[in-house]
Amino acid sequence: MDLASLLYLLVTFGLFVVFALIVFRTYRRKNRTKGEAPKYRMLDDD
Amino acid sequence: MEKPKYHTDIVRSFINWSILWGVVAVVVGVIASLQMVNADLNYPPYFTFGRLRPLHTNAGIYGWGIGTIFAMFLYIVQRLCKTPLWSLGLAKFQLWLFNATIIAAAVTLLLGFNTTHEYHELEWPVDIMVVVLWVAFSVNIIMTIMKRKEEQMYISLWYMMAAIIGIAILYIINGLTVPVSAFKSYSIFAGTNSANVQWWFGHNAVAMALTAPPLAMFYYFLPKSTGVPIYSHRLSIIAFWSLIFMYLWTGAHHLLWTPVPDWIQTLAMAFSIMLIAPSWGSVINGYLSMNGQWHQMRDNYLVKFLILGITFYGLQTLQGPMQAIRTFSAFIHFTDWIPGHIHMGTMGWVSMISFAGIYYLLPRVYGREVYSIPLANLHFWLILVGQLIWSVSMWVAGVVQAGMWNAMNADGSLTYTFMETMVEMYPYWWARAGGGLIYLLGILVFIYNMYMTVNKGEDPSLALLKAEGRV
Amino acid sequence: MWEKKPILLMLLATATILVGTIVTMVLPFLWVNTEADRIAEVVPYTPLQQEGRDVYMREGCNNCHTQTVRPLVAEVLRYGDYSKSGEFVFDRPFLWGSKRTGPDLARVGGKYPDAWHYQHMDSARSMVPKSNMPDYVWLRDNPLDPEMSRRKMAVLGFPYTQEQMAALEDKNEMDAIVAYMQKLGSDIPWRQSARTEVVGELTNPYSDNDADEQTLAAWRQLFLNNCSACHGNNLEGGIGPELVGANYDDSTLFQIIYDGIPAGGMPDYASLGPDRIWQLVNYIKQVDRSGEP
Repeated sequence: MDLASLLYLLVTFGLFVVFALIVFRTYRRKNRTKGEAPKYRMLDDD
Repeated sequence: MEKPKYHTDIVRSFINWSILWGVVAVVVGVIASLQMVNADLNYPPYFTFGRLRPLHTNAGIYGWGIGTIFAMFLYIVQRLCKTPLWSLGLAKFQLWLFNATIIAAAVTLLLGFNTTHEYHELEWPVDIMVVVLWVAFSVNIIMTIMKRKEEQMYISLWYMMAAIIGIAILYIINGLTVPVSAFKSYSIFAGTNSANVQWWFGHNAVAMALTAPPLAMFYYFLPKSTGVPIYSHRLSIIAFWSLIFMYLWTGAHHLLWTPVPDWIQTLAMAFSIMLIAPSWGSVINGYLSMNGQWHQMRDNYLVKFLILGITFYGLQTLQGPMQAIRTFSAFIHFTDWIPGHIHMGTMGWVSMISFAGIYYLLPRVYGREVYSIPLANLHFWLILVGQLIWSVSMWVAGVVQAGMWNAMNADGSLTYTFMETMVEMYPYWWARAGGGLIYLLGILVFIYNMYMTVNKGEDPSLALLKAEGRV
Repeated sequence: MWEKKPILLMLLATATILVGTIVTMVLPFLWVNTEADRIAEVVPYTPLQQEGRDVYMREGCNNCHTQTVRPLVAEVLRYGDYSKSGEFVFDRPFLWGSKRTGPDLARVGGKYPDAWHYQHMDSARSMVPKSNMPDYVWLRDNPLDPEMSRRKMAVLGFPYTQEQMAALEDKNEMDAIVAYMQKLGSDIPWRQSARTEVVGELTNPYSDNDADEQTLAAWRQLFLNNCSACHGNNLEGGIGPELVGANYDDSTLFQIIYDGIPAGGMPDYASLGPDRIWQLVNYIKQVDRSGEP
């Protein structure tokens, strides 16, 4: 495996980790009410 | 909480003008479709197919599409931020410049000032107008968001901000050019590089102008129209990040089998398939929001437009990735299948959502309830049927054409000359022109309905609300 | 965090957008159009050719014609050798197009004689009745502007001679676009290398007796589809010579159709396959015999 392929692999892996972190952050229990709050505020008369 | 006094006149002006440019786009489209079946309808030098087609796409994307997006964003941003626009003066300047730009675009395209970059045909002076226009719009939206009264931002604002940045980056880089004269310039990119940059732009213009903004509109108008919240705000966030990440890799699926390096093509193909996930994230979010509300498809004409719109988006984002696969692209690319695909996105998805938004705004911006709901329904069915005839006839045409291009005899020779394959297209091109006419008829019904709405006099209750500064 | 901070959100969105942009759009500049792509035979456009290219762009020809041959069997058979990156290094911008309402033009250079292009541009339907290509005869009325051309060549950095520039004086846009057509895809000697040769004895598989009406009609259609644009509907000639009374023997006629006459402007029709070429040979001979097309 040459350096370029290794680099690709690392970058790909890194991107997956970033994605997993975003999913984790968005969906963790603590965030449930806060994360969904904006959709209810939408229903207020504006 | 005390209601801020929102600016609505500017929204109304943008809607009116964008409808005008939308009609221009469709009329020119119908004319171009007739030129395809009868070359005698070309009137050189200004009204040949080669000059009208860029006018059609530019009037559609920039006049109707971006015009409506301007209107809707200027409306939505005030509501979601619970504050009036940062600068009404800037918005008025933007309206003026918008129309000046579209007129300049129409005139220069007919005169033949054409860079040949698809969806970026405008020569450099008009290009500069577009950039100034976009900056004026962006500053107003961003500054309004900065002084918002609502701390946590709703997903529609996310898509707006992504679109603002995305369009700016794409348009400026793809437009880099060296002028020779006032209306002639040469791209700084050459050959294969120029192709790769152009389709990086081309495909992501679809992402940032015809996907992110309509999604912002959809996420706003669906709950507003149905009275129920979207299924999941968090799902919309995951879909948001994935969508804006993946889209940028996919431009080269327009260049499969060309001299563009294979690895770029392969990446584009892979990411196009992956894009199904975030696209359908939004589709499913829309569908699940309708849980227990499906009866509104019958009772509420707005919901029909919105749900059909998101359905076409769903179909579009399945068909697109399919076309991005090398083997399928080898067969279908360059045929009439492709315009069929594009028009499902523009006539189906983007326009359906835009019409829903305009209907929704009638009482809130024009101060009147819609003149006739039956006419709005008629409008819906005409544009639905028109678009389906348009796209389906082109898909069939594309398969026939591709089959004939590839047909070979036992001795390894080609079965058909090019002309034989082209002549076979005429019936489908007629059908397409018919579909376009039906669509145009639908738009005329819509305009009649709008006209009658505006002229029927203000609803007393709305007038009262208006006096209180609540609408 | 970013759901409450718009500036941060926009910065993150920009970063997100830039990842794919850098990998698939910026990085390729390291490889594309570098020495690795270079093809020695590919030369810049002459002033006349570049003027033609600009007319092509102005008229939006790219809306109906592509300029890239994909490495696919049917495509290479129909148009010629597949396109190479190095052939486009002087194209600012590329004109590969996205829709083939008309045929691909990447290899059209040298396929037909100039006279074919002039007549086809004047009125495509005079040669191909069912075509939907507009007439461009009016290009003949537009003279070229050497001063403008000089500025264009300076921006593009293409070499030119004073004679080339002076020659523009009495040329018009039609001359320019035809010159451009003839340049397309013809820098590399692909025609020579793609040439196939007939080996062995050529024997006409059809008898010398007159064909029945149905067969004759099919042969005539084949002739109309492939030959009549230059040789006339009734073989009376036009851009190409009259075919009645030419009196070639079978195998010579076959060879001419199969290989073409590059110097004389006759394209090769090897892609029709031997059987259909024999049908053309017999059609021509039968018309010659009976005097009835």
